[in-house]
Amino acid sequence: MKLTLRVNGIEQTAEADPLQPLARVLREQLNLRGTKIGCGNGECGACTVWVEGEAVCSCLYPAFRAEGCAITTIEGLATPERLTALQQAFIDHGATQCGFCTSGMIMAASALLARNPQPTEADVVHGLTGNICRCTGYRQIIDAVLSVGNKQ
Amino acid sequence: MNAPLREVGRRIPQKGAEQRVSGGAVYTQDIALPGMLHAAVLRSPHAHALISGLDVTAARAAPGVVAVITAEDFPGKPYYQLGGSYSDRHPLARGKVRFYGEEIAAIAAETLEAAQAALKLIEVTYEILPALLTPEAALAPDALPLHEAANMLGGRNLAIRFTCDYGPVQQAFADAAKVFEDEFSHGVAVPACMETNGTVASFDPASGDLTLWTATQAPFFIRKEVAHVVGLDVERVHLRGVEVGGGFGGKSKICEQEALAAMLAVKAQRPVKLILDRREEFISGKTDHAKRIRLRTAIADDGRILARATSLQIDNGAYTAYAPTYVGAARQRTTCLYRVETAHYDCDLVYTNKVPGGQYRGMGAPQMIWAIETHMDKIAAHLGMDPLEYRLRQANQSGDVTPLGWKISSCGQSDCLNEVARRIGWAEKRQGPREATPGKLRGVGIAAMIHPSGGVIYQEGNYSNTRIQMLADGRFVVHTQTADTGTWQNTTLAQIAAEALGVPSELVSVSHMDTDAAPPDLGSAASRVAFVSGNATKRAGEALRAMVARELGRHWNCNPDDLAFAEGKVRSTADPSRMADIAEVAALCGELNAEARYSTPGERPDPATGIGNYAATYVFGAQAAEVEVDMATGQVRILKIVAAQDVGRALNPVAIEGQLYGGILQGIGMALQEELIFEEGRPVNASFLDYKVPRIGDAPPIELALIETNDPEGPFGAKAGAEPTINASIAAIANAVAHATGMRFYELPLSPDRILPKLQAGRKLALKPWKRPYNLEVATVRKAYPAAVFPVLRKIGTKFANTPKQGVKPEIAAPRDIDGLLAALASPNKRTKLLGGGTDLFVGLRQGIYDTELLVDTARVDALRGIALQDDMLHIGAGNTLASLTDSDLVRRILPMLAEGVDLIATPQIRRVATVAGDLCQEKRCWFFRSAFPCYKLGGATCPCFAVQGNNRFHSILGAKRCAAPCPADLAPIFTALGAQAVIIGPNGQRKVAMEDFYQWSGLSCLTAGEVLLRFELPLSARSSHAFEKFAVRRSDFAESSVAVRLDWEAGRITGARIALGAVAPLPIRAEATERALLAAGRPDAKQIRAAAELAVQGSLPLRDNAHKTHLLVNLAERAIRTAIEHAP
Ligand code: FES
Ligand code: FES
Repeated sequence: MKLTLRVNGIEQTAEADPLQPLARVLREQLNLRGTKIGCGNGECGACTVWVEGEAVCSCLYPAFRAEGCAITTIEGLATPERLTALQQAFIDHGATQCGFCTSGMIMAASALLARNPQPTEADVVHGLTGNICRCTGYRQIIDAVLSVGNKQ
Repeated sequence: MNAPLREVGRRIPQKGAEQRVSGGAVYTQDIALPGMLHAAVLRSPHAHALISGLDVTAARAAPGVVAVITAEDFPGKPYYQLGGSYSDRHPLARGKVRFYGEEIAAIAAETLEAAQAALKLIEVTYEILPALLTPEAALAPDALPLHEAANMLGGRNLAIRFTCDYGPVQQAFADAAKVFEDEFSHGVAVPACMETNGTVASFDPASGDLTLWTATQAPFFIRKEVAHVVGLDVERVHLRGVEVGGGFGGKSKICEQEALAAMLAVKAQRPVKLILDRREEFISGKTDHAKRIRLRTAIADDGRILARATSLQIDNGAYTAYAPTYVGAARQRTTCLYRVETAHYDCDLVYTNKVPGGQYRGMGAPQMIWAIETHMDKIAAHLGMDPLEYRLRQANQSGDVTPLGWKISSCGQSDCLNEVARRIGWAEKRQGPREATPGKLRGVGIAAMIHPSGGVIYQEGNYSNTRIQMLADGRFVVHTQTADTGTWQNTTLAQIAAEALGVPSELVSVSHMDTDAAPPDLGSAASRVAFVSGNATKRAGEALRAMVARELGRHWNCNPDDLAFAEGKVRSTADPSRMADIAEVAALCGELNAEARYSTPGERPDPATGIGNYAATYVFGAQAAEVEVDMATGQVRILKIVAAQDVGRALNPVAIEGQLYGGILQGIGMALQEELIFEEGRPVNASFLDYKVPRIGDAPPIELALIETNDPEGPFGAKAGAEPTINASIAAIANAVAHATGMRFYELPLSPDRILPKLQAGRKLALKPWKRPYNLEVATVRKAYPAAVFPVLRKIGTKFANTPKQGVKPEIAAPRDIDGLLAALASPNKRTKLLGGGTDLFVGLRQGIYDTELLVDTARVDALRGIALQDDMLHIGAGNTLASLTDSDLVRRILPMLAEGVDLIATPQIRRVATVAGDLCQEKRCWFFRSAFPCYKLGGATCPCFAVQGNNRFHSILGAKRCAAPCPADLAPIFTALGAQAVIIGPNGQRKVAMEDFYQWSGLSCLTAGEVLLRFELPLSARSSHAFEKFAVRRSDFAESSVAVRLDWEAGRITGARIALGAVAPLPIRAEATERALLAAGRPDAKQIRAAAELAVQGSLPLRDNAHKTHLLVNLAERAIRTAIEHAP
C-alpha cells in the first residue's frame, strides 16, 4: 500500500506491505537507520519511536496503522551538532557503550521526561523497563536521565 | 617516564558518542550497498540426523532468488578454529546435522521475504539419530559417536580428556586436617549482545577481492577463517570498520554467517546482507558452556590450602570452537586463585547434540570462582574465622609463584578485599540481624578474583601492531585491527596515543577493524586490547613522535632530542623561542606514519600441563554483595554491590567504571536469572521475554573503587580491565545469599524455583489434590508419561498433528464501527482474528502459532474505547489500551488497584498499544507452544504436552489437564476479583458474561465465532477494598503467580470476599475455600489470614519444577489479603 507519513516534521511517502513493521519502513525506505532492531518482537525497545507523540516499539507497529501519523525518530530529535539536553547528558555520563540500545533508550527516556519532567529514580526505572541494554549495567543511563530532570 | 600524565587518566567522553546518541552510528544492519541481496539460512529442525537427501532445485528457481548454497559449494575445508582435531565444523552441514539450528543451506534473494520463502522450497530428507543431549548420555558406553574418531582425542565423544597434578597432591590430601568436597553445576548462559550477528559481503569478480562488514570482535580471525573456507587468499579478504553492538566474547571468533554471506556474495557476484534475527541468535549464536564442577579442597589445621582438586566436565556442544582455551581458562582459577600449595585438575570436554559453546565474558571464571569462594567461606566457618580475614591470609601476593607457574608481579588483591569490605560495612553487617525486616533475610558476601592480563597465547602468539598517522592538519588517526564493541577501546587507545605523542586526546581518533588500513592484531578478546594493543599503540605513538622530531629537526635545524612534545605543542628545550603548535608542525612536516608491534613477553604454556607464566601481569579484584532474600517469593534482591579492581592504571575512569557496571550486571544475570533452557536439544526460551537478561529494574546500586598498582609492563601502568569485571559477581552474591539464608545452593541460577522450596521447607502446605477429582486421572496419566504416553504421542501422535499452516499472509479489514466489525468477522471460510495492539498477534504469526487469513483491526472502532462511570459501574471499553487505564485519573481515583495492576503488565511501549481485550485473549505463553513444538495446544489431541516432562517451572499447578499452560493475563484475576462482567456483541446481539465464566477449563475464552468483546462493567462499592499481588522475576515479565482480592465490609467485618488466582491454572480461579474462611472469621487475625491463604492451593498438583509456585501462591494470597484488610474502608 502507499503510505503517507509525517516523519520528523516532513511529509514522506512510502510503498509498503500493510503489515510490514514501521521500523522497516523507516529504515529501509526512508533511510532512517538510527532506529535499531534488536529483537523484532517488542521485547527490547531498541526500535522505540514516537507515533503521535507516544513511545512505541516500531518493530511491532504495522505500517498500515501509521498511515497519516506524525512520527518522530532519533534523527528527528537533534543533529550531532545540536544535541538535546538528554543526548548531551548521555555523553557526559558515559551512558553509551556499544550504542546499539541508545536510540531506543533516548526515545523512551525523552518520552518519559515529556510526561514527567522531574522523574524520581523509580520513575526512570519504571519508564525504561522496556529498553534492554546489555553493556552499561544501566547505572550511567539512570544518572543521565536524572541529571536532565533535575536541571529542568 | 615520571612526567605527570596528561591524557591517560582523563575522564574524556566516548569517541563516537555524538553519533550514538543521535542515531548516526552505522552498524552492520545499517549498511546498504547498491544491488545488495538479502540472505536467509536453512537450519536443522533436529538435534541429530543424517541428511540423506538435499534438493535445492525448486528454491533456485523461486522468484527473486539469485544464489543458493549448500555444503557442496564450499571447497570442503572445515574451519581452522584451534586446528588439528579441533577443526571439526564446516560452514554448512555435510551429510549430518549435529544440533538443532545447524546451518544446512543459505539463500540470497532480492528481498528478505523472497529468501525466506525460498527456504521452504528446499527439500531435505533426514534420518533421525538418537540425540545425545547431556554429557552423561554422550559418555555412555553405547553412545553413538558424534564425530570422526580423529576429532575425539579424548575418546568417544570427548574432544579433550585432560588430567594433571601440580605438585604432590595425593600427599597433600593424605596430610590434610580437613577436606571439603562439593559438586556445583550450571547451564548455558549467552552473551545476548543487543546487536545480533550479521555480515554484509561484497565480492569483486574482476579483482577477486572480498570485502566484509561484520559484527565481530576480531577481524584478524574472521579474515583467516573466511579466506580458508571460501578458498581465497587471505590478502584478498578485506574487513571494513563498522560499529559493533556488543561482543562479550560472543563475536570473538568466526560466527557462521560471515562465511555464508561471503560464499553467497561470491556465487551471486552481488553484495549480500545476512543478519540473524533474535531467535536465530539465541539458537545458533555462541554461548557460554554448561559445566559440572567437582571441587575438593584440603586444608591444614591453620587453614593453609594444601591442595585444591578440580574435576570439571564441560559441555562442548556439537562442535569445538575455542573450548580448548576454555578448558585452560578454568584451570587457571582453580590453580591460581588464593595461595594454593598443590593442585589437581582434570577436565572432560564432551560433545553433545547441542548448540556449540563459544566464549562469553570471563571464560568460565565466574562459575569457577563461585565454587572456589564457596569453599573459602566454608573453610572460614570451619576455622571459626571471619571470611574476610581468612581470605586476606590466603590472598595472592607479589612475588608468589602459583602451582600453574604464574609469577605474580603487581598485586592488589588484598587491597581490593579490604576496600570492598570497608565500603559494604562488612564487620557490622556480618554481625547484624539477618531478619531486619520481617520476612526478608539480609546477608553480605565477598569474593575475589584473578585474571591474566592479555594472557591467551594463540597459535599466532599474542601480539599487536598499530599504525598511527599524523595528518597534514595536525590530527592523528590510530589504525587498529581490533574492534571497539562498546568497550571504549577506541577512546582509551586514543588517550594512550595522545599521551605518547604529547597532544590532546581531542586531536586523536581511532579507525578500527579495517584490515587494509591497519596492520595485523589478534583482536578485541581475551582481555588483550588495553594491555597488548595498548602497548603497541604507545610504542607507535613514541615512534611517530620521534619521526616528527626528526622531520622538524631538519626544518628547524636543531637536534631532534631537544624537542619536547606536550599539550599539543612542540618546543625546543635548547632554544625557547622555537615553539609551534602541532598543527603548524604537521603542516611543515606533511603526513607521517609510524607503526609499532608489541608481543607479550609471556611464556607459551607447556601443552601437557598448562604450566607457564603466560601473562605479563595479572589482574586482581574483589566484590562484595549485600542481598535481601524475600522469604515469601524466594527472590534475591541485590541491595548493593561494591567492586574494587586492580586496574593497574585507569586509562579513562569513565570507561572502566562503565565496564564494571556492565560486567557486574551480566554477573548478576548469571547468578540470579539467566539460563538457556533446552528441550529435545532445542532452546525453548529463545527470546528476551523468556531468557531473562537483566532489565533496568534489576540494576542495583554499585559502588566502585579503582585500585591503581601501576603495572611496570602495562601501557602507562594499565592492566586488562573489561572482561574480568564479571568474575567475582556470582561468588559474592551466592555467599551473601548463604549468609542471609544459612543455606547453600549448588546450581545456578539462584532463581525462586530453587530457593523458595528450601526456604519454605518447614512449612508444609496441604495440597489435597483429591479436592479436584480429575487430578486422579491427571496424576495417573502423568505417571505413565515418560515410559508410555509421551513416546507414543511424540512418535506417532504428532504425525497427525493439525498444526497451523506456515507462511500465510493475512489480509486486513479495518472497519470503522461495530457493524462493520461484525460483518468483517463473518467473512465466510476465513480464519479470522481480531487485531488489538498486535503485540501478541504479530509475534505469534512469526512464531508459527497462528495461521490467520484475515485480521480485523479494532483500532478505528470508537465504540470499543472509553472509560466511564455509569451508575455504580465503571465501564471500560475492550479496545482501550492498557496505558489509557493507567493514564486515567478516573481509574486511578476510584480503582487504584486496577491502575497499579495494569502498570505491572509488560513495558511502557507495549502498554501504549496493547488492549484490554488483547491482554485477556492473548494466547498462552508456554515456551514449548511458543517455540512451535508439535504439542497438544498447537497440534491437537494426538499430540503430547511437552510440559509434563520438560522444564515446567512456569506452568500450571492447578487445574491443568491435557495442556499445562497457565493463563498469562494479569487482567484475568483482577477482573474476576472485581466481579466484572464482560459485554459481548455478536451476530445474535449482546450478552453479558461474568468474568469467572469468561474462560473455559481449556483456558480458551467463551467467545464464539463472530463475537467481539465490547466492554467490561466493573461494579463499584464504597464498602469494598482491593489488593493485587503479582510475582515475576523481572518487572515486565508475565506473572509466575498473582492474586487479586476484593473484600466487602460492613461494620468492620468482611461480608463479601472475591479472591482470584492468576498464572497458576489455565484460567483465573476463584479461591473459594479461602473466601469462605475469611467470611467465617469476619475479622481475621494474622493466623486466620495465613490459614485462609493456605487453602488457596488446595487441589493443586504441581509439576516437577514448579513446586515453588504453591508457596508463592499462598504467600502472595496472604500478602494480598493483608493489604486488602489494611485498606478496609
Ligand atoms: S526491536 Fe523492537 S522491541 Fe526489540
Ligand atoms: S550500550 Fe550496548 S546495548 Fe546499551
